Amino acid sequence: MSKDRLDIPDYNTLFSEHRFVEQRLNKQQFEAPCSEQETAEALAYSQSAEYMEKNFNRKAVVINPHKACQPLGSIMAALGFEKTLPFVHGSQGCNSYFRSHLSRHFKEPTPAVSSSMTEDAAVFGGMSNLIDGLENSIALYKPEMVALCTTCMAEVIGDDLSSFIGNARQKGVISEDFPVAFCNTPSFVGSHITGYDSMLKGILSYLYERSGLQAAPGSGEETGEKLNVMLGFEPYTGNFAEIRKILDAFDTKYTLLGDHSGNYDSPATGEYEYYYGGTKLADVPLAANALGTLSLQKYTLKKTQDFISETWKQQVSALSTPLGIAGTDKLLEAISELTGLPIPASLLEERGRVVDALTDSHPYLHGKRVALVGDPDLLIGLIGFCMEVGMEPVHIVCSNGDVDFNEVKFKEEAEALLASSPYGSEATVYVGNDLWHMRSLLLTDPVDLAIGSSHLKFAAKDANVPLIRVGFPIFDRHHMHRYPILGYQGALNLLSQIVNTVLDELDRNNSGFNYDLVR
Amino acid sequence: MDPIRKDEFDSEACGSKAPKSKPCPRPKPGEAAGGCSFDGAQITLLPIMDAAHLVHGPIACAGNSWESRGTLSSGPSLSQYGFATDLNDSDIIFGGEKKLKESIDYIAGRFAPPAIFVYSTCVTALIGEDMDAVCKEAGDRLGIPVIPVNSPGFVGSKNLGNRLAGDALLQYVIGTGEPEPELPPGVNLIGEYNIAGEMWDIEKLMNSAGIAVTSRITGDARYKEITWAHRAKVNMVVCSRALLGLAKEMESRYGIPYFEGSFYGAKETTYSLRQMAYLMNDRDMERRVDRLTEREESRLTQDLRPYRKILKGKRAVLYTGGVKSWSVISALKELGVQVVGVGTNKSTEDDVRRIADRVGDDTEYIPEGGATRILKTVRERKADIMIAGGRNMYVAMKEQIPFIDINQERHKAYAGYEGLLRLAKELTYSLANPIWKLASSPAPWDKEVPYDR
Ligand code: SF4
Repeated sequence: MSKDRLDIPDYNTLFSEHRFVEQRLNKQQFEAPCSEQETAEALAYSQSAEYMEKNFNRKAVVINPHKACQPLGSIMAALGFEKTLPFVHGSQGCNSYFRSHLSRHFKEPTPAVSSSMTEDAAVFGGMSNLIDGLENSIALYKPEMVALCTTCMAEVIGDDLSSFIGNARQKGVISEDFPVAFCNTPSFVGSHITGYDSMLKGILSYLYERSGLQAAPGSGEETGEKLNVMLGFEPYTGNFAEIRKILDAFDTKYTLLGDHSGNYDSPATGEYEYYYGGTKLADVPLAANALGTLSLQKYTLKKTQDFISETWKQQVSALSTPLGIAGTDKLLEAISELTGLPIPASLLEERGRVVDALTDSHPYLHGKRVALVGDPDLLIGLIGFCMEVGMEPVHIVCSNGDVDFNEVKFKEEAEALLASSPYGSEATVYVGNDLWHMRSLLLTDPVDLAIGSSHLKFAAKDANVPLIRVGFPIFDRHHMHRYPILGYQGALNLLSQIVNTVLDELDRNNSGFNYDLVR
Repeated sequence: MDPIRKDEFDSEACGSKAPKSKPCPRPKPGEAAGGCSFDGAQITLLPIMDAAHLVHGPIACAGNSWESRGTLSSGPSLSQYGFATDLNDSDIIFGGEKKLKESIDYIAGRFAPPAIFVYSTCVTALIGEDMDAVCKEAGDRLGIPVIPVNSPGFVGSKNLGNRLAGDALLQYVIGTGEPEPELPPGVNLIGEYNIAGEMWDIEKLMNSAGIAVTSRITGDARYKEITWAHRAKVNMVVCSRALLGLAKEMESRYGIPYFEGSFYGAKETTYSLRQMAYLMNDRDMERRVDRLTEREESRLTQDLRPYRKILKGKRAVLYTGGVKSWSVISALKELGVQVVGVGTNKSTEDDVRRIADRVGDDTEYIPEGGATRILKTVRERKADIMIAGGRNMYVAMKEQIPFIDINQERHKAYAGYEGLLRLAKELTYSLANPIWKLASSPAPWDKEVPYDR
C-alpha cells in the first residue's frame, strides 16, 4: 500500500474546495446571516467586561458544563474491584452515556448494565426491572459481585434498593451469599466524584459487614506493615503504576482500595475477558486491620475516609492528588508517618533528577499565566505544581468545587494555597461555574496557557490559547492517561507536556528571527 | 402523569404509522443496552445547527452528552453548546419551571437563536413539570418558537425518541413558514444527520443532477428551512426508519409522496436519485440523473478496481442499528465483502426482511446485544473484520479484530459514490495494517508457535 493511488478527500480537506464554499454561501440565505461588522461587534461585546458581568450574573442556565453525574463515578468505583459488574438502576439512556463517556476517555470497553426502567416502572416502581435485571445480567456476564447504584429517576420515584435486593434473594433470583453492594447516587446532588465516593464506601462497608470480621488496626499482617491506599476518581491508569512503584520502594505491604487500572489498561491478547484486575473482594475485610489508610483525593473521598476512621478506627492521611515536587514530598512523608518506614534513597535520587529537569525548563515557564479547570483535588495539585515552577494561575474554575474537608471548603484551601506564593497573587477561584464563564474569563483577561479537560477546547479556541489536556475527560488525544502525573515521575510528565507546548507555540508563532535550533 | 408513550404506539410497527404487529423493541433489564429516547430525540434535532438546544433536568443527561456527536455544520454552531438547567435537589422538590423560564430567557437574550428546543428528561417528566406551558408562555413573550420535546429517557429506545422528535417537528415547526418564491421545488431529506459530512456529498450529487433540496431534516439544517418543508415535492426517508412516521404524516397532511432510500453503496445511491427524479415527475431531470449516475458508476468501477482485488471474499460481521443494518450490506456486497453475521437487535421486522433480501442463508443473525455475542459470531464465522459502533470498538481491539466505526462518532463519510470509495479505502487500510500481524503473532522467544514474518 505505498502511495495512495487515489486521493479521496474527507471532511478535513474536502469542504474547503471551491464548490463546497459556494454551496455554503448559498445556504446563508436561510440563515439571515449577520454582516461581518455585526459579527465583529458581537465578538467584541463577548470580550467586554460588561458581558462578563452579565455572564456571571447568569443563574439559571448552565452553558457547557464541566461535571458529570454521580452514577458515572460510581461505575468507575465498581470497576476497581475484582469481577464486579456495575449495575445502574434507572432507565437505559444514562448507562449508555456513562459507558461511552468512560470508554472514550480510556479507549477501553466499559462493562456496565442498567435495569432499563420504562414508563411502567415510573408508575409502579422499578422493583421488577431490578430483579429481572439482576437475573439477566448475572447469567450473561457472570460477575462475582454486582455493584448497584441509582440514577436520578430511581431516586425521584423513591425506589428502595436494599429491600429490592432482599426480595430478589427471597425469590431465589440471586443466592443468599451472592454479594450485591449498593449506594444511592442521585444526579441532582453532587457530581461524579460524589458518586465515586458513595460507591467506594458502599462496597467497603458492605463487604466488611458481611464478612463478620472485627476491625483491629495494625493486626492485619504479622509484620503489621500493611497500608490501605485509595486513589479516588482517577482518570490516569498510569497513576496506579506510579503509586505502586513508590510503595514498593518503601518496601511496605499495601492494598489498593479500588483499582480500576486493570480494567482500563488491559492487554490486547486476542480474547476480551470482561473483567480485568481490581481489588480482590477478600482483601476488603482484611483491609480493616491495616495500619492506616492513605487517601489521595481528600475532597472526593469524604464519606469513605469517615467510614474508615470511624468504623475501622484507622488513622487516615488524606491528601489531594500529589502533583509536583512539594505534593509528592507530602505523599512520601505521609507514607513514612503511617508505616514508620524511612523515605527510600531511590526516591530521593529520583526527586533530584526531576528537580534538575524543572530547573532546565523554568526559563520558559516563569511568569506564564495559566487558566485551570478540573475536579477539586486535581486543582489543588495543579495549583501547587504551577506555582512551583513559577507559573501564575490566574483563572481557576471548579464546577464541582462546593465541597469541604474537615470543615475547610475547597475554595478556602485553594485561596490559602495561592496566597502562600507571590505567583498566586493574580488568581481568582470560581466554584460552581461552567466553561462559558471560563470563556469570558479567557477573553477578557487573557492567559498564556489553559490546563484542563478536552471540554475546555472550545473556550480555549475562541480565546486562542493553547490547551494542555489534563484531567477528565480527555476524548481528543490518545494515551494521555497511560502516563502518570502524580509522584516525581508524574511531575516530569506534566512538566514536559507543558514546557513542550510552550516551545511548540514559540516555533509556530515565530517571527522569523527566533526560529532557534537550541532551546 | 400522562403517559407519553401513547398506547396506540404499542400496536404499531416500529417506525411506521400503519398498524402492524411488532412495536419498537423495548430494552431488556440487565443488558448493556443502547441510548434512551432522550438521546434519540437529540440525535434527530441537534443537527438543526442554528437553534439552541436546552436540556431540562439534572446534569446527567447534558453533562454526559454535549458535543459528542459527529454531525457537522457548515455555518452556525449554536447547536454545539451544552445548555442545561442542571437541576439540584431543591429544584426537584420545589419544581424547576422557574429555572427553565429563566434559562430560556437568558438564551434568547444572549444568543438570539431562531428557535429554542427544550428537552424533557426522566426527572422533569416524573416530577410533572409543565414544560409545554412554560415553552408556550416563553415563546409568546419572546416572539420566537420555543419547542418542547417530550421524550424523556424512560419512555423507551433511541428509535422512539427519533420518532417523538419527528412529532415535535410536525406539531411545532413544519408548515409554519414559507420559502422564498424563487426557490425551485425540491426534495426533503429526512433522517440524514450529516455525520462526517455525508449530507454534503449527497447534496453535491443532487446539485449535479439539478435536484433542489427543500429542507434538510435535519443534517446541517437551519431552523427556517424546516418550517417550509411542507412545500417540498418529494420526501426521501434516508436511513432512519424512525422518521418514516414523519414522512407518512406529511403525505397525508400535505400530499407529499415519499420513498425510503439509502446512499450506502452505488446501487442504492443510483436508485435513490432516480426515485427522486421520478417522483418529481420531471423527464429532463430523469435524463440528467441517468447521465450522472452512469458517469459516476463507471468512474467508480474504475476507481474501485484496486480495492476490490484486496476486499474480494473478505468476511465481515456487521453490527449496527436500524436501516444501516441492511443498507450497508449492499455497499459491502458491491465491494465483494461477504457479510457473515448481522445484528438485528435494533432492527424492525421490515429491516430484517430487507436484510434477508440482501444476504445469503449463510449469514447469522445476532438478535441480542452484548459484546460476547458479537465476538462469538466473529470467531465462529471466521470474520476478517467487524463493522459496528463506537462502543464495540474497544472490545474488537482487545480481540485483535480489524474494525470500522459505522455509527454516529465515525469520522469518515460513507454515503454516495465517493463514500463507497472511502469505505473501500477504510476497509482495506483496516485489514492491511501491519499491527494485526504483530498483534496476533507470539513474541519471538515463544517457541511453541513458529514466528513467521
Ligand atoms: S435515561 Fe433519562 S436521565 Fe438518563 S440520560 Fe436518558 S433522559 Fe437522561
